[in-house]
Amino acid sequence: MTSLLAEMFGNTRRFLERLGALAWFSLQVLRQTPAALLRPRLVVEQVYHSGALSLVIIMTCGLFIGMVIGLQGYDLLQRIGSEEALGVGAALSLLKELGPVVTALLFAGRAGTALASELGLMRATDQLAAMEIMAVDPMRRVVLPRFLGGLIAMPLLTAIFIVVAIFGVQLVGVQFFGIDQGQFWSQMRSAVEPGDVYEGLIKGLVFGMSCSLIAVFEGYTADPTAEGVARATTRTVVISAVVTLVLDYILTALML
Amino acid sequence: MNQTLQTAGATAPAADADNVAALHGVDFAIDDKPIFRGLDIAIRRGEVTAIMGPSGTGKTTLLRLITGQLRADAGRVVVEGRDVAGLSRRELYAMRRRIGMLFQNGALLTDLDVFENVAFPLRENARLPERLLRSIVLTKLQAVGLRGAARLKPQQLSGGMGRRVALARAIVMDPQLLLYDEPFAGLDPISMGVVMRLIRSLNDALGISSVVVTHDVREISQIADLSYILSGGQVVASGSPAELREHPSPVVHQFMDGLADGPVPFHYPAPDYVAQLLDRSEAA
Repeated sequence: MTSLLAEMFGNTRRFLERLGALAWFSLQVLRQTPAALLRPRLVVEQVYHSGALSLVIIMTCGLFIGMVIGLQGYDLLQRIGSEEALGVGAALSLLKELGPVVTALLFAGRAGTALASELGLMRATDQLAAMEIMAVDPMRRVVLPRFLGGLIAMPLLTAIFIVVAIFGVQLVGVQFFGIDQGQFWSQMRSAVEPGDVYEGLIKGLVFGMSCSLIAVFEGYTADPTAEGVARATTRTVVISAVVTLVLDYILTALML
Repeated sequence: MNQTLQTAGATAPAADADNVAALHGVDFAIDDKPIFRGLDIAIRRGEVTAIMGPSGTGKTTLLRLITGQLRADAGRVVVEGRDVAGLSRRELYAMRRRIGMLFQNGALLTDLDVFENVAFPLRENARLPERLLRSIVLTKLQAVGLRGAARLKPQQLSGGMGRRVALARAIVMDPQLLLYDEPFAGLDPISMGVVMRLIRSLNDALGISSVVVTHDVREISQIADLSYILSGGQVVASGSPAELREHPSPVVHQFMDGLADGPVPFHYPAPDYVAQLLDRSEAA
């Protein structure tokens, strides 16, 4: 019993220490962000690495998720004779929930792990230490451009995911099941409001911030061993997924 | 022949004028495990100083103390007459611009080619015209014999070539002090000879001071002006390679002759061998 309590106490203490380290790291990142913006080329490179290189997976998944929504949505709506509402339902669910959340999960799996493992390997192979010796701040030169690259890429990826997914819904609903194309689009246009679009983009931005921050934090603070890098990569995915879902609930509650 | 050092303040005292760096009574521990206890070392200006000792004696830690990556628990680390612990972040970075360091694994940036790796400190710390930057980088690459490899990626280099590129990068800012962390580790005899000659020739040609952390006694003995042997967190001997070979200390004798057993035991502390073999409870 005593050992169980001691273990619980130890785990709680380690969790709080890690949380404190993350808070301190976040403050450092925010404090130095203006300086990093003075070198836009580094940020643009990272938007390419985190964003453009994630496009294939984002678009592929978006298309198939859209097609699945089309199938399930049509099956559900035709039972109550409202197949024309497929476009509205799909667009709202994609804009407000599925788009940002699924994009964030895919982003964490593709770009987040790449960021964490790259930084972890740089730590393990003394590249970050070498920068410090060369009077170059690794936080400003390496971490911040990657964080900002992810932050910028996520809302863009979210928008692309949603557009491709709606195309997938249309493909199944209109082209396959024969829903009237005019009704599909006009109902969507009349029901979807700018606020719904903003909600999706705000969520994309917040998830981009959280996922990028978690990835660079885990990579930057990884133990400089193969096991340490592997652990940092795994933690990036797990923590990003949990934080995304928790933040999604909080943001949804705030924006309802 | 241990060095006796005078204490140094924020400005360079006369006693440190001949030293580019010095450690005065430094204590340092990692996770309550003491690494140094009252360590005194002086790095003389214009010389190649070797830091030797058995594995785990804190040789690399010593370099990190000099560069300010680690802070001493007690005592003072003085570089160019200034106490490293008293430097602000800006001053620390200014100091590091005058220090070059060759890491054991080279630590080349893997997303940049050889040319850009060598150009990296210049691009980050100095605003030079591209043509001048190119000339400087090619000059440094020529000095290490790798001008022809300028467009290769680090992954395409052999261990020895990587070490030489890292050396070119370390000298590109024309440092006053060059630190080498195990520069001979894992190199074939040809590469080892090349790196060895480069350390000596760069030190003399550029008029800089060098600190070489190594346990390759034979190689370093050919180029070092002064060697320190560390053990148990302190300097156990110092002097020229010839003086060290004649040193009476058993630790120095064991290290210089590469003996498997001695004051530094071959076996890690363990319970009695026979008793452990016969202990059935542990086997179960």
